[in-house]
Amino acid sequence: MKTLQTTEQEAAEDIFFGQLVIIYARWFVVIAMTILVLWSSETLTQMVIGILLVVPLIILNFFVHGRYLMEKPANRLLLIFLAVIDAVVISLIISFWPGEKGLFSQFYVFYYPIILAFTFVFTGRLSTIYTLFVLILYSAVCVIFSAEFLQQPVELERLVIRLITIAAMGMIGVYYYRIQRSRRKKDPGIDPLETFTTADLTTA
Amino acid sequence: MTQTILAKPEENDTEKEPLLERSNFGGSWQEKDLTYGQPVIVAVRWIMIVSALVLAIWNVTSMHELRLQIVVILLLAVTNFYLQAQLLMKRPVNKQIVYGASAVDILLITILIMFQGGYSSSIYVFYLPAIAAFAVAFPRGLTAIYTAVVLLVYGFICLTNGAGNVDVIVSRLLMITAVAFCGSLYLQLEHKRLAEAKTREEENFLENMPVQAMVE
Repeated sequence: MKTLQTTEQEAAEDIFFGQLVIIYARWFVVIAMTILVLWSSETLTQMVIGILLVVPLIILNFFVHGRYLMEKPANRLLLIFLAVIDAVVISLIISFWPGEKGLFSQFYVFYYPIILAFTFVFTGRLSTIYTLFVLILYSAVCVIFSAEFLQQPVELERLVIRLITIAAMGMIGVYYYRIQRSRRKKDPGIDPLETFTTADLTTA
Repeated sequence: MTQTILAKPEENDTEKEPLLERSNFGGSWQEKDLTYGQPVIVAVRWIMIVSALVLAIWNVTSMHELRLQIVVILLLAVTNFYLQAQLLMKRPVNKQIVYGASAVDILLITILIMFQGGYSSSIYVFYLPAIAAFAVAFPRGLTAIYTAVVLLVYGFICLTNGAGNVDVIVSRLLMITAVAFCGSLYLQLEHKRLAEAKTREEENFLENMPVQAMVE
């Protein structure tokens, strides 16, 4: 089949269409973070610091979502930069939020939708790099802020489960991205001579 | 643009462009989504099987427990091998079998969570790849039903023995919803793109068609 779209066009479309998924994933994380800050802050200072972490994410996401609605979507570099910010903010929450920290913090779950959305939109290589970045970041945070778990096989098992499932999210995105790329080539694959008759054309 | 995307582009396009319906794309959107999404479901299940095997051997507490775990894991592996074999032979698999197998995945994860203490179990993270996989393969309605069932059952399990950690439970439930929503939204965006690609190809073909053929 003769492909009318160039690879560059397709990559640009991946980002144009797909960034809505990243935006919604971030909205979900923002909502969860806001609930966390409002619910679990024990002092006024904690609440202020927590909100100061969430507000920049809200502003950035409003900016990106607004541009998308105006059909002026964010470019690739900005989206990558924001994805890195997402991972860093989540890691900060895991590291410093009052209560359990590092491996014992329960807020690592915020990584999952962010990774899934990223890997749906970007190429396999970038997605793999981002997934590895998150895996290393999370492992480092666990070792730095809760090193005692290394002596306990049960806790080590917990970390392994989390790393496997985070990597699985990245893998799902990369795999499905590839499947969709090949589907776009095959599925709308109109081979005009096979598909249409002249009768179809005259009615069209 | 967003409105068009969210308003079921697959339905609009078939209404507007009957010509497309006469072309030989074969099968409905739902069937094609399942065909293209099924390898993802099978791959995720392999990951779950291998992880379960590693974790079962990691912390062996009793012979009896390990025996039971290995039997369950092997049964899952045999089922998944059957689905994988169908895919490799390019044979269509009954929709009901795929839907049923995914329901069994969710059920097994839930049983494991219950045996490991509900809220305190870290096995719940396996819900996330499982839901992500069927969100990109199943129709929106079915994804919504599966996700709602997971949210209700898991929410109930957590509240029975982790009621003091509502913020954590809400975060987990929200992230499960986020994964289902993002997968489903991506699928809709792909429908929109495929529909646009079809239109583009058609327009291009009509523009390049020799005038003589049009007259005939």
